[in-house]
Amino acid sequence: MVLFHANTHVFHNDFSSVTSVVFNKYANPYATHVLSIDTIERRVDEHGNLLTTRLFRKKGKLPRWIEYIVGSRITESWMIEFTMVDPKKQVMRQFNKNIDHVRLLQVEENTTYEYDPANKNTIVNTKVKFTSGFHVGIRSKIEKMSLSRFEQGVERSRLGMAMVMKKVEENAQRNLKHEM
Amino acid sequence: MGQSMSASFAPECTPLKKTYDSCFNEWYSEKFLKGKSVDNECAKEWYAYIECVNAHLKEKGIQPALDDARKEAPFESGGALSDK
Repeated sequence: MVLFHANTHVFHNDFSSVTSVVFNKYANPYATHVLSIDTIERRVDEHGNLLTTRLFRKKGKLPRWIEYIVGSRITESWMIEFTMVDPKKQVMRQFNKNIDHVRLLQVEENTTYEYDPANKNTIVNTKVKFTSGFHVGIRSKIEKMSLSRFEQGVERSRLGMAMVMKKVEENAQRNLKHEM
Repeated sequence: MGQSMSASFAPECTPLKKTYDSCFNEWYSEKFLKGKSVDNECAKEWYAYIECVNAHLKEKGIQPALDDARKEAPFESGGALSDK
């Protein structure tokens, strides 16, 4: 069994603010599970798009029953994230997945941030796929648990983004006043 | 940008990371998105930081899995997510 999840969110902010926050939303109090982020590759390709690869380390608290099945305590997990920014079309595409514990659970997430100039909004579409390599019964249990946790995580992630975005705007306002 | 930035997995690299991130943030919003620059203007900061990261990655068990995952590079074909 494989589970999918999709959702859409609209930020009432421009592309520059939203995508700057995507690169800088950690640390914030809604994301204490993110232990570290490192940019391991970054370049502008022949189409003028900015390509970034980042490595995340996250704290993972798994329920006892999963640890019992796996036979070890999983306290952290590593994740890779690929990002492409097209500055002309004002589109950011992101793909991320965990790179360890993949037999237990593979989470693959695709996100698109797209600017809508008519409404001055940035629209975010997320699609996630959960796959577990375990036996059928346990598998569906693991996948369902991951999905419900993911849904809670999406909400927290938005709160974090909104909070950092507010800070960015306040700083921009302050800098503007300094210049005047 | 003013807000606190995230740490590197290797504490020794965190100060270098912060210097690089500040440089990148400025370039990204003020130049790259405005179509003023496609050059890496933070090269000095980048090399200092990535050298530190690569040196410490070697000590981590994650290196083989990371090398494997990096090959995927889904946006290399110019935007569309390649099917792999």
